[in-house]
Amino acid sequence: MADEVAVAVIGAEEVPAGIADAAYHVAVPADAVADDANLTLAPVVEGADVVIAEPTRHVKSVVGKLAAAAGASVITDALSIEGGVATEMYFGGVGQVKRQAETSCAFYTAGAGAFGDAQPSGGNGAAEELAWVAPANAVKLVSSSPIEKSGVDLTKSDVVVAAGRGFAEEGDLDLARAFCDKIGAGLGCSRPLAEGVNWMPTETYIGVSGLMLSPKVYVGVGISGQMQHMVGVKSAGTVFAINKDKNAPIFKQCDYGLVGDLKTILPALTAAL
Amino acid sequence: MNIVVAVKVVPDDQDIQVTAAGELDMSKAHQAISAYDLNAIEAAAQLAAAAGDSTVSVVTVGGSAIDDSKLKKNILARGADQLFMVADDAAADLDAHATAAALAEKIQAIGACDVVICGDGSADNYAQQVDVQLAAKLGVPSVNGVVKIEANGAAITAERKLEDVVEVVEVPTPCVLAVSPDVALPRIPGMKDILKAGKKPMDIAGAGEIAAATVKTIEVKAPEAAERKLDVKDAADDGAIEAFAAAIKAAL
Ligand SMILES: Cc1cc2nc3c(=O)[nH]c(=O)nc-3n(C[C@H](O)[C@H](O)[C@H](O)COP(=O)(O)OP(=O)(O)OC[C@H]3O[C@@H](n4cnc5c(N)ncnc54)[C@H](O)[C@@H]3O)c2cc1C
Repeated sequence: MADEVAVAVIGAEEVPAGIADAAYHVAVPADAVADDANLTLAPVVEGADVVIAEPTRHVKSVVGKLAAAAGASVITDALSIEGGVATEMYFGGVGQVKRQAETSCAFYTAGAGAFGDAQPSGGNGAAEELAWVAPANAVKLVSSSPIEKSGVDLTKSDVVVAAGRGFAEEGDLDLARAFCDKIGAGLGCSRPLAEGVNWMPTETYIGVSGLMLSPKVYVGVGISGQMQHMVGVKSAGTVFAINKDKNAPIFKQCDYGLVGDLKTILPALTAAL
Repeated sequence: MNIVVAVKVVPDDQDIQVTAAGELDMSKAHQAISAYDLNAIEAAAQLAAAAGDSTVSVVTVGGSAIDDSKLKKNILARGADQLFMVADDAAADLDAHATAAALAEKIQAIGACDVVICGDGSADNYAQQVDVQLAAKLGVPSVNGVVKIEANGAAITAERKLEDVVEVVEVPTPCVLAVSPDVALPRIPGMKDILKAGKKPMDIAGAGEIAAATVKTIEVKAPEAAERKLDVKDAADDGAIEAFAAAIKAAL
């Protein structure tokens, strides 16, 4: 996309050598937040034609402020960028939209998947340390504590079962767990089960704002089939669905469906396998 | 405390039809409050209740279709006190930069504002950018991913749930907070709330000057759907569960 590439890393990590033409590092002061790194990075971004940023919360703040200062908008979560045209999800996957920046510098956020198997190259050595420039009205960091992760990595599962709001009680998830054990599946969920009720770890929810998976087998249980969820398993090999509502949208997107109550179906199915 | 909630009104995605040509037809879609903005309104209502003596103002900018009486009542039935709406086709489908500019103009016109609350991301673009662009326009700090809000003198103490860490931060007011859905469960308005909402102040206006577009939309299409077998059976039918089990085994 460009002749000259500079990389800037915010935070504790070291910047690897040999990945760009120039490298910069921003150390965030102990009582500051990474979101406030925009003024520090402004000189690096100045004059750039393209800025590509990682789609994390911190970096979305930083790149948003840089774009605002440039009178631009960020094209976010690009699935691909070709000839300056980015493809993004629209309405959580109901559609896809192609967009192009009309400003002199184009700002994007994109995950690693957007660039296929492109490999980094370049002659950068040790990164240049940028001195922190605090904004007026800085946000003050009081504490930062790591989130304990469940250790579940559904991206490595060939078989994925997803539990949805059809599970009326947390205890009913044991039915899904027994079923998973029988078929060697990883248990994921829809977003509502990971947020608000917190029955499932955040890193196990599937969909446009969570995990995008391509398992061999996906079984949606008590999942209605909203696009925001289904887009996360669109490329699954075989899609199975269990739902008590015969008109649930998931039945229009599955290979095999069973209409009925998951509380009776799951034990019977687990026994039949 | 003066609390502003920035809300987006979007076509309800349940009503979006895909045409034979693979285009999205939204002409039959109802206007709806973008899902995660419901959590933002609730967070504002709860913050107002906790702080006491507060006003919650909802600000929204969109095309003329958003001036819908049912929708306006729905917005105001959720604990907000007043609504400021720009409903003008010149303000339809704005990018983050122009949306922020239009919202900022409205917010500044309301007068004193301590906190602006935004949702996690809109149902259509989910760009998560209007919060930070709005903060930049207003010249105030912002944080996203907020799951807890506490008024703390001239600052807000906020807890943010990020990808790998939970941060507790102190944000000087005025400020912009983008909240995660976890922050508060939206209430379900009752008949009384909706009746009362109809009597609350609503300021519906045309657009002022709209900032030039910074992003051009080239094409919107439905993605190609994978062909599926659609073999759906009633679990009560003889052998249905066994057949389903056999199909799972075959696919493993
Ligand atoms: C911007 C945005 C981003 C989003 N991102 C995501 C995302 O990444 N991932 C995601 O999952 N969602 C996401 N959502 C939410 C999404 O729109 C849906 O609300 C959500 O996926 C619905 O979850 P669900 O299917 O579990 O619940 P529901 O839609 O409530 O469906 C529950 C289903 O369970 C069935 N059921 C009930 N009881 C039983 C029973 N006893 N036995 C069998 N079936 C039963 C019901 O018939 C129903 O179909 C997003 C939304 C927005 C606006």
